[in-house]
Amino acid sequence: MKFKITKEKFIEGLQQVQHVVSTRTTLPILSNVLIRAKGGMVELTTTDLDVGVRGAVSADVDEDGITTLPARKLASIVKELPTSEILIEVNGNNIAAIKSGPSFFKILGLSRDEFPELPDFSGAQEIVLDQKLVKDGLKKTFYAISTDETRYVLNGVNWSFAGGKLTLVATDGRRLAMVDQDVEIPDLPTRDVIVPTKAINELQRLLTDAGQVRIRIGESQIAFELNGYLLTSKLIDGTFPNFRQVIPGAPRHRVTMDRSLLLETVKRVSLLTSDRTSSIKLVFTEDNIEIMANAPEVGEARESLPVSYKGEKMSIAFNPEFLMAPLRNLDSDEVHLDLIDEGSPGVLRINEPFLYVIMPMRVTGP
Amino acid sequence: MWTGRTIIHVDMDCFYAAIEVREHPHLRGLPVAVGGRSSRRGVLTTANYEARKFGCRSAMPTFKALRLCPQLTVLPVRFELYRCESQRIREIFEGFTGLIEPLSLDEAYLDVSHLRSGGASVAAEIRARIFEETRLTASAGIGPNKFLAKVASDLNKPNGQFEIVPDEVDSFMTALPISKIWGVGKRTAERLQALGARTCGDLQRWGITTLTREFGKFGVELYHLCRGRDDRLVTPDRERKSVSNERTFAEDLEELGEALEKLDVILEELAVDLQLRHGGRRIAKSFVKLKFSDFQTTTAECAARALEPGAYAALLEEAWARRGRRTVRLIGAGVRFVPMGAPEQLEFPV
Repeated sequence: MKFKITKEKFIEGLQQVQHVVSTRTTLPILSNVLIRAKGGMVELTTTDLDVGVRGAVSADVDEDGITTLPARKLASIVKELPTSEILIEVNGNNIAAIKSGPSFFKILGLSRDEFPELPDFSGAQEIVLDQKLVKDGLKKTFYAISTDETRYVLNGVNWSFAGGKLTLVATDGRRLAMVDQDVEIPDLPTRDVIVPTKAINELQRLLTDAGQVRIRIGESQIAFELNGYLLTSKLIDGTFPNFRQVIPGAPRHRVTMDRSLLLETVKRVSLLTSDRTSSIKLVFTEDNIEIMANAPEVGEARESLPVSYKGEKMSIAFNPEFLMAPLRNLDSDEVHLDLIDEGSPGVLRINEPFLYVIMPMRVTGP
Repeated sequence: MWTGRTIIHVDMDCFYAAIEVREHPHLRGLPVAVGGRSSRRGVLTTANYEARKFGCRSAMPTFKALRLCPQLTVLPVRFELYRCESQRIREIFEGFTGLIEPLSLDEAYLDVSHLRSGGASVAAEIRARIFEETRLTASAGIGPNKFLAKVASDLNKPNGQFEIVPDEVDSFMTALPISKIWGVGKRTAERLQALGARTCGDLQRWGITTLTREFGKFGVELYHLCRGRDDRLVTPDRERKSVSNERTFAEDLEELGEALEKLDVILEELAVDLQLRHGGRRIAKSFVKLKFSDFQTTTAECAARALEPGAYAALLEEAWARRGRRTVRLIGAGVRFVPMGAPEQLEFPV
């Protein structure tokens, strides 16, 4: 195998695939990137057995071939090479010679025979969606994914394609983010699938604002094809909880606030929370919300926000991080907060198909 | 007029052993200890004064104690009974002050600054009440702070008391051997002596800079303690931060499978303890502790909200992987609690 490639192209390709490579692996081959040079293209593949990514970049291929090389080492070398032109030559023993201007590297690779194949998707259901729509939907939901490994069905985003809608939901049992978008997809008997966190992260990296993404859903795997990349992932085997059930009914109060102002206020006030009391209190009085926090033996913070509120005095406590996460990932100017009482979930909405349900904190003692 | 604090340190005399002798009157006057049986890897928890004459000490392996004193009676530990006695004593304290800081079942600090009758007479009264109610003797130390009270309670043990009045603190401290300072163990004492300090008086001649250079942070503490200064408050009902259950094995474990079986039993007991005595507390973390053949310990922990056997098994494996060539002599499993009064994040009712 022998090819010439520009530094920029090679870095771009390696960067998109190297995140999948796990730093701690019991299988040495999984630290490597599969490199296939053929017909003017160099194809790069990585996998951790659960998630795999494949992409191709253009190159001058003098001699077709295939090998695997340590992904992170290769990426760090390419990044530091002194000239833009890189010549790579790999012999039959998977030893790669990398030349760039005056510099020369020799890297020991492994045979492609040990490299696991990406799953096969022939006969899988296919759905094509706008990338922007998916990108936007994931941005508004991914932060609510649970990191608690004991609740593995929540360790991903649930995708549902029913009723002419793409519904993306993530929850950790304490808050839930949902985007419910109309989409034009054939009315197929599709089931819900849970795409694990790592694949969601990779997909977010690959998604752009233009073009389409082709999704193929197999028995236990999912594939996303976009911008010349293929991302495959295992699906989480389990049933996502019935999320519609946690969306509260009619609110008693609605307050409308400036999103960035609310975000900044919560951010400031939450400086005075401690691990022990990681909660902020929102006290509603006529046309005003006071947001406050206190940390024992440190001090307290409070800030007022003028709002339109006509109900009785009420207070509710939230984990500030849970309140800030959606505010950071939305881009609308205004948000609506719907409340029932201090013990019931609050709902954050915007004038678009999105909602975020957040359970309050119960504050006992002083 | 003295406006400072009066602290009493009450220390029950060989508490567990004394209770057992009271329960087994025929053992009165004989060497008695409470602890694990000798055939296994048991150690003494407490030895009475008769047994101490033979050199038997708490934490001493039982077989060693029996070698020193073959006629020693070693009784099994009955924590439930001791806890019950401790509670009775605590109720006596409550008749004198609300500021009670228990250190263990048999030791507590009492802040009695508000009582006019003076520390020594309060302490005498408390000890008399304890004896009346439980037939157990206690020793007490009275001083203007916790440190001095604790040092004093050791001076007329058993069944005695000693008071250090504020005017006498300086002269008392000058003569006090450095080994009486808490935190000064055998090693530190040796180092201090090598540097020429045998008494607190010697140590008082050292500047704070010298002390911190030699002992780091602890140097600052030494600077104050060797002058008899200690401003820590008596904190009542210091909150329990964690609960654990651990087991030392008759023979070290070498197989993970075996360890996992032992863990099951430990967890069952922990679950019962949590349910019976800590029912209201919320769990923040789970942890597993191992002690290896070289007496080094290691702990693995993870966030948790309940006692999940699967999570404990994973923690055990994580800690187990650190053993290298060592065998495992002890396994412990426990939970750390969410601090009381901390806000509780509610969950979706699904």
